[in-house]
Amino acid sequence: MSFRTKLALFFTLTVVVSVALVTWGVTSYTRREFEQISSQHTRALMDQFQKEFAQRGEEVVLRVATIVDAQATTNMAITLARPQADPSTYVYEADGLAAQHQLDYLDILGDDGSIISSKEWRAHFGYKMDWVAARGLEWNRDPAFLSRTELADGVGLSLTAVRVLPVGEKKLFVVGGLQLDKGFLSSLVLPQGMRALLYTNLQSSFDAAALTDVNGPVPQADRLAGLIEQVRKQGGEPELSIQWNSSDPASTEGLHAIQLRGRDNNLLAVLLVGSSQGELVRQLNFIRTLGVVVGGGGILLGLLLSVWVSARVTRPIERLAKGAREVAAGDWSVRVETRSRDEVGQLTRAFNEMTRQLAEQRDRLVQAERVAAWRELARRLAHELKNPLFPLQLTLENLQRAREQTPEQFDEIFDESTATLRAELENLKTIVARFSDFSKMPAPQLQPVSVNDAVRTAVRVYDAQFSIIGRPPIRPELYLDESLPAIQADPDLLHRALSNLVLNSLDAMPAGGTLTIRTAQNNGTVRVEVSDTGTGLTTEECERLFTPYYTTKRHGTGLGLAIVQSVVSDHHGKISVESVHGAGATFRIELPVRPAGSDNHSIVSAAPRPTDADEKPVQPSPRKASAGSILGLTGEGPGA
Amino acid sequence: MKRTKLLSLAITSLICAVALHAALHAAQRPRYGGTLRVEMRERVNSMDPRGFDPAALGASATERLLGLVFDRLVRIDDRGQPQPSLAASWQHDANFTRWQFQIRPDVKFHDDAKLTAEIAAAALQAQDWSATSSGSTVTFVFPSAHPNLLVELASGRSFIFRPAQETVFGTGAFRIADWQPQKRLTVIACEEYWAGRPFVDRIEVALGVTPQQQMLDLNLDKADAVEVLPSLARHEPQTRMRIWTSSPVELFALIFTPHMDVGASPGSATSQPVARDPRLSQALSLAIDRAAIVNVLLQRQGEPAGSLIPQWLSGYAFLFPAQPNLEQARQLRAQLPAIGSLSLVYDGGDPLTATVAERIAVNARDAGIRMNLTAENGGALSKTIELRLVRWHFTAPDAQYALGKLLERVLPMQVDSSSPQAGGLQLDTPEQRYAAERAAIDGGSVIPIAFVPEIYALGPNVRDWMAPRWGGWRLEDVWLDLTPKSEPAAAGNNRP
Repeated sequence: MSFRTKLALFFTLTVVVSVALVTWGVTSYTRREFEQISSQHTRALMDQFQKEFAQRGEEVVLRVATIVDAQATTNMAITLARPQADPSTYVYEADGLAAQHQLDYLDILGDDGSIISSKEWRAHFGYKMDWVAARGLEWNRDPAFLSRTELADGVGLSLTAVRVLPVGEKKLFVVGGLQLDKGFLSSLVLPQGMRALLYTNLQSSFDAAALTDVNGPVPQADRLAGLIEQVRKQGGEPELSIQWNSSDPASTEGLHAIQLRGRDNNLLAVLLVGSSQGELVRQLNFIRTLGVVVGGGGILLGLLLSVWVSARVTRPIERLAKGAREVAAGDWSVRVETRSRDEVGQLTRAFNEMTRQLAEQRDRLVQAERVAAWRELARRLAHELKNPLFPLQLTLENLQRAREQTPEQFDEIFDESTATLRAELENLKTIVARFSDFSKMPAPQLQPVSVNDAVRTAVRVYDAQFSIIGRPPIRPELYLDESLPAIQADPDLLHRALSNLVLNSLDAMPAGGTLTIRTAQNNGTVRVEVSDTGTGLTTEECERLFTPYYTTKRHGTGLGLAIVQSVVSDHHGKISVESVHGAGATFRIELPVRPAGSDNHSIVSAAPRPTDADEKPVQPSPRKASAGSILGLTGEGPGA
Repeated sequence: MKRTKLLSLAITSLICAVALHAALHAAQRPRYGGTLRVEMRERVNSMDPRGFDPAALGASATERLLGLVFDRLVRIDDRGQPQPSLAASWQHDANFTRWQFQIRPDVKFHDDAKLTAEIAAAALQAQDWSATSSGSTVTFVFPSAHPNLLVELASGRSFIFRPAQETVFGTGAFRIADWQPQKRLTVIACEEYWAGRPFVDRIEVALGVTPQQQMLDLNLDKADAVEVLPSLARHEPQTRMRIWTSSPVELFALIFTPHMDVGASPGSATSQPVARDPRLSQALSLAIDRAAIVNVLLQRQGEPAGSLIPQWLSGYAFLFPAQPNLEQARQLRAQLPAIGSLSLVYDGGDPLTATVAERIAVNARDAGIRMNLTAENGGALSKTIELRLVRWHFTAPDAQYALGKLLERVLPMQVDSSSPQAGGLQLDTPEQRYAAERAAIDGGSVIPIAFVPEIYALGPNVRDWMAPRWGGWRLEDVWLDLTPKSEPAAAGNNRP
């Protein structure tokens, strides 16, 4: 994962986590506030209900008292107090009085508590309400109370007041009430989102039809059966939260149950105060949506910001990394631009300084190596030239001494000396030719070449060398992969390189041995291994083996393996050497089937071969030099 | 001088007396003109006599409206005697099996078509009578004696009409000017009515008006004649309104549906034809305090009913006790298997019926019989219910006819309803009628509750509201006093 990606992720996560935390905090706060407000509303509604209850009670008392105080009622009481009075005349009386005084329930009772007229249940006349007659005149001081009123089709809940009109020894009872139903509930001023429900049937089983709100029967009333049952059995003021519509969280409502008791403290009804959670859910949804939007925006902003910031931060680093890769690729002239003065700028400047110093050191090293090479060349030339020059000098001195001391033998000595001189001069010419050959390394002329054929040709050149009389024999063994593809190579140069390797191996086995040559292909390359069973090489020898003019042999020029290395390099291949002390050495060449740039083959082929003046000695790069020092053990090894 | 003055005073007094007498006499003499506005609680659906069903609830209201437009062959006079109507005369054989009616000549339908015996017979045939025509005679031939045919032809499905395309025409005193089913009927007087032009020019009958609204309209002079609930009639004498009350001509009764399973699962009604246990009906009958219903709910405007037809019709109604016996009712109830609530259906548009139904339910509860009250709006009897509280109106002052029609309604299995003569039961003699009533009541098919009269409140301008004592209308005889008055007309009851 790139630094820029990490940086973007970090920014994004930071924004998202921040927004999530803020959203969670606001949500929690909002929920808590709503719950507090809901609780306050419930309490306020209860207070309002109690207040309304008391006020309605006073109204009921006043209305019933007004009926009792009316002259018509007095006349009725007087008439009914007479002997043989006919109460049937007044059976419809309650209807008009109730309508006139806006009472839902009105019963006019005789002295014995029997119903003379009943507004809510006209057919109930003649039946007794003993509980009314039992208290006599005490009713006139009592406030209104909650009571259950028997109706033709069930039981009604009412706020009831009883007043008594005494006429002589007889009494006329007037029982009036306001029904606690949806009409009563509609009179309550409810805050928005709240509603009041009334359950008026307290029979053994839950009756959904007895649960009403301002709109009448409550849909899905059965879901409140548990709450009602809890109130009936356990009392208290339990609460319940219901989501009426399973697919709509905004339909959630909190319900608070409140007991309504009558004169005898018996439970007559249950008031349910419902507080809609819809607003809360909507607010929470809004906050969540806002959080998501802000979070999304934050993510987008974070991405843009992170891209911008990371670009600002990572661009110098990327440039630095690119520079480092170029340096690693060998381009030490790379310089990374920077204007920053921060740590990255300092690092960039340090990098530039480092590469500058590395380049200088490399130049110095190259210069030193050149000097060393020229010294080695001079030493080798001096050494190579000194060997033939010394006999030449001795021969000339011998000729001179012979002419002065033994003129008679001068001719004989002259002939011997001239022969010697000729031989040594030939030797000098050979030395010079070798150096000339190395300097004349041409550019490869690529064409399809069979490596196996090249190997066989190179080995065939030295057939006579393998079994020279007087020398221990050398046994060649070839393990050639016949499936090798033809490679693009210069056949002459390849033959030259392979011949040098074979010759090098022959020189490394003066005591005889086995020359093993293997060919194989691997990942688009052809590998040639030339192994001998000589004494092997030391590590230092392995490291310096491909250096021109370096040799471990007494009469070597140090150019053979350098030429091999040069040819392999010109074919974009690799050469390495492995040596085990006492077990010989193995030279391994890997040549690409189609070297890079081989497409330019025709151009190269068409180009004139470079002249001797154009040829320069191959200066191995440090990397090329290292290619020949993969492995190396001590010991006298072969030289070119 | 003194004698002259006395003479002048005497002459002046005489003149004033004659003028006053003339004025008073003028006020009492019928006058033509005016629109009589009548209001009814019932909603009549059709003015086609072919669809008239005397057994349907509210049939009496329909019959009254039809009586304005359509005549019958015979009519019943104020004394309850058959009188010629479209039939000028009739004769029958000694066995009362062959009747011949001579059609009144020169009678025209409202479309000016002449009434013929053929048209009359066709109309009667359309109403299930086996009548034939010959010349100006309509002949009935029955396999058995029909001594009561005149009464039957004076009521029920015996209207004479002439069908024409999409309507029918009658020969009545009024012809239809505007008909809005269930809402309003407007009829206008026929100038060439064979019995003489009615006094009023027009009658407007408003239908489906609540009793309270009717009283309000009467007091506001928006109506001239309205129905009065018994509960209101007792108090109306205290006002200046005129009240007309008939004899008890309406029966409040509980009728069990023909197929009721009292042993069925609680609260359910079943259509399985199982035997009815008469003890349930007896227990319920004994639990009902009829006197309380009449005295209190009906405000004494009626009488408790232990029989199916009232005393003034049958003469033996006193033989059917109407007193409650709650203890015996409870004992009978205890003998019955466990039952659920009985479904009691009543006419939801009739507040009086609703109140009586509630009281019946209260009394039944005391006897351990639970009832569920269900309000239903009009229509024919449903056979899926268990009990129905009905108001049965007797439309003819004939015990045989009245009981026969009622038993057709109560005992459809026993009475041959295909014949308008109620030939399934022998009701010719009081003994037979008593036995039939006793069988119906003891069999548990019907529980009589109370007889109530028909009560009308009349506006101050309405004169000669001479309805028969068994109710109904004689609006062709009514006239309106349209003379301006400085004070309301004389108040008081106008009881027949």
